[in-house]
Amino acid sequence: MTHDSPVHRLGAGWKLALGTLLSALAVGARTPGELLALVTVTLVYYFAARLTPFDLWRDTRFFVFQAVLIIGLYCLLKGGDKGLWPGFRQSAQIILFYIPGAVLLRTTRTGDMMRGLRRIVPYRLSFLVFVSIRFVPFFLRELDEIMTAQRLRGARLLPRQLVDPRNWGDLFHCLLLPLMVRALKTAEEVSLSAEAREFGARQQRTFYDVSRQAGQAATAHLKQNTVPPCSHMGPEAGKGLL
Amino acid sequence: MTNSREQVYLWHRFTLREALLLGFCATFILLTRAGLRLHLHLPGHVMFFTMFFYLLARGCVPKIGAATLVGLIVSLGSLLLGMGTKGPAVFVKFILPALLVDLAGALFPAFVTSMLACVLVGAVSASVRALADTGLEWLSGMEEEVLLRKTVITASLFALYGGLGSLAVPSIIRRLRKNGLIDQGSGS
Repeated sequence: MTHDSPVHRLGAGWKLALGTLLSALAVGARTPGELLALVTVTLVYYFAARLTPFDLWRDTRFFVFQAVLIIGLYCLLKGGDKGLWPGFRQSAQIILFYIPGAVLLRTTRTGDMMRGLRRIVPYRLSFLVFVSIRFVPFFLRELDEIMTAQRLRGARLLPRQLVDPRNWGDLFHCLLLPLMVRALKTAEEVSLSAEAREFGARQQRTFYDVSRQAGQAATAHLKQNTVPPCSHMGPEAGKGLL
Repeated sequence: MTNSREQVYLWHRFTLREALLLGFCATFILLTRAGLRLHLHLPGHVMFFTMFFYLLARGCVPKIGAATLVGLIVSLGSLLLGMGTKGPAVFVKFILPALLVDLAGALFPAFVTSMLACVLVGAVSASVRALADTGLEWLSGMEEEVLLRKTVITASLFALYGGLGSLAVPSIIRRLRKNGLIDQGSGS
């Protein structure tokens, strides 16, 4: 998969509009001709994004069970001959409905998506979203550590052991409970840290101005006739953190 | 657990600490979704951990809207991480069950400590997720009989996994309360 194509360069808003149109057409398609035309247009859109047939399989494989179920039910109720086409049409419509959304997600950079979201999602909520994403690696490490420690104590947490429902007690009590305790403590620490910086004290979004802090520290050190510890840092220092 | 000095951060209801804890519950749902995607390919299995963490979130922060906030963060997080194969429909998929958990919490604030109530709420809320697909199928002209049967099959699978995932919630909530880590659950 490449990260540059005409679809990648389209704005997120345009992709959303195009996707909505294609999805709406997928809902309305009824005849074989309409469906064929829509399949062609959708596939052109998909492959114009330089996505591969393997990507297409990864995006649509979740609908295979659904398609089998729908075609099976139609064949069961209407007979093999009469049920095959409506079942196939329905399944194709559902897959076509979701493909433009997959293109949007695959071709829009997370940063662009975040910028778009910031315009519509209140900052307090977007802070929570970004914190929850930011802590994914942290909790992955925690999960790994807890799992290793508990397995050394004899907990049955190996993937093949968890297939057996009798071992789910270990999953909940030896893994997820300690993880939840860690989450409670982390939430406490992060909230204390954020509130110490007056985060959330005002309705508008505020920034922790590191450069200003550095400036104040430097002034304080100059007053005491000592060399500031970070004297090599210019006024631009810390701006990347804002 | 609630500190009187804490300021309300979100929706005139949640403090920053509570909101962050709910955010972490959303992190766990995202983690388990990614993990399960690698190992299992069973339809509906995603509701196993989703319902577990929704109910746990409701138990840890016994306020109306707790599960919905988790659902909202999971939806936005899924979109940002490219995990929402169904595009914007991911909001319906995650928020609908969460709303039902909150509704159950509003009607029966202490339900998270009862295993039977948890399984019931978990199963019913998870099955509601099947409605997200049903709406689209109805719009695209699926025959009512097929639609009904398919909805029953998918809702049953969701309910099965949702109910199983909810089984452990009461014991975990009790242990967290016993150790003074969370509120005693007066509800609001």
